[in-house]
Amino acid sequence: MSHAWKACALVALLSACDPVHASAVSALGGEAPGVRTGPLHRPGQPCLLCHDGALGDPQAFSVAGTVFQHPEDRVPVDGATVSLTDVSGGSYSARTNAAGNFYVTTGQWSPRYPMIVKVSAGGTTAAMNTLIGEQGACGGCHVDPAGSSSPGHVSLELADGGTPP
Amino acid sequence: MSPRRVHWLLVALGVSACSAPPADSRYVQTALPDPASFPPVAQLLTFRCGTVDCHGSALRNLRLYGSSGLRLSASDRPFVPVCDTQAEIDQDYLSVVGLEPATMSAVVADHGASPERLTMVRKARGAESHKGGPIWAQGDASDVCLTSWLAGQTSASSCANALAALLPTGASDPLSQCITP
Repeated sequence: MSHAWKACALVALLSACDPVHASAVSALGGEAPGVRTGPLHRPGQPCLLCHDGALGDPQAFSVAGTVFQHPEDRVPVDGATVSLTDVSGGSYSARTNAAGNFYVTTGQWSPRYPMIVKVSAGGTTAAMNTLIGEQGACGGCHVDPAGSSSPGHVSLELADGGTPP
Repeated sequence: MSPRRVHWLLVALGVSACSAPPADSRYVQTALPDPASFPPVAQLLTFRCGTVDCHGSALRNLRLYGSSGLRLSASDRPFVPVCDTQAEIDQDYLSVVGLEPATMSAVVADHGASPERLTMVRKARGAESHKGGPIWAQGDASDVCLTSWLAGQTSASSCANALAALLPTGASDPLSQCITP
């Protein structure tokens, strides 16, 4: 094996041993009982933590997340349209599945940040009132419980029928 | 005491003198931008730069608190209260002026001349590597908002126009009621 190949192998090995990343993935816990790895798994979690295109990781996503019905529950919204628009004016729409999950692969579309997003389903549209600066995983910022650094999970409407900010 | 011991004692004294300067010799900022005219600048910075996936993090050197990102009070929530609080603006001010204290003092003392001496200005203009990419262009409303404040002549209208243009949902955005023209 040439020195170049050895160097490449070493770099690949070291990049696969990121303790911070490994710790963050470990903190997510295991798969839910009865749910196989796939489009329906891990709703609400920061998808891009694993779907990052790193060597040995699953398919890379550019944007992915989960839409729930209300802030107070974790009922998924099936068939919601997630409309993404980036700073260059490019846009992409994705649909949520039965788990409320949606995902955009890097091959389908990669936004130039900042990006804005709105979610529509059943005649209700909720637009995010802030910019997304660089995080393609909704669950990277929309962490439960809601608090001073998080609005909580992504939801379509408030209990009173209004839309969340 | 043997010469060898004296030698090592002097070395130890020298090292300790270098690592712990007396408090009265530390740098004191000689010129600071005006805190009173900072609120419209803070409002733009927190919205454009302070989302929780960017500078809305207590772990960043430039850490920004505000309504649309990280709240300072543990009891506050994004957009609740809807506008940046004075305590958040005060913290943002300290963060901005403390990034490069000596350079900030020099730019303010020169009435805002050559603001690109500040890394923050260069990064926002895309003149220096920035994970968030270029944020605005030299001379546009956002850039004027920041640099006019550094010059001591804050253009609140530039700040307001820049923020209004950024709000994803326009006039219906909750932050629109916080814009100070």
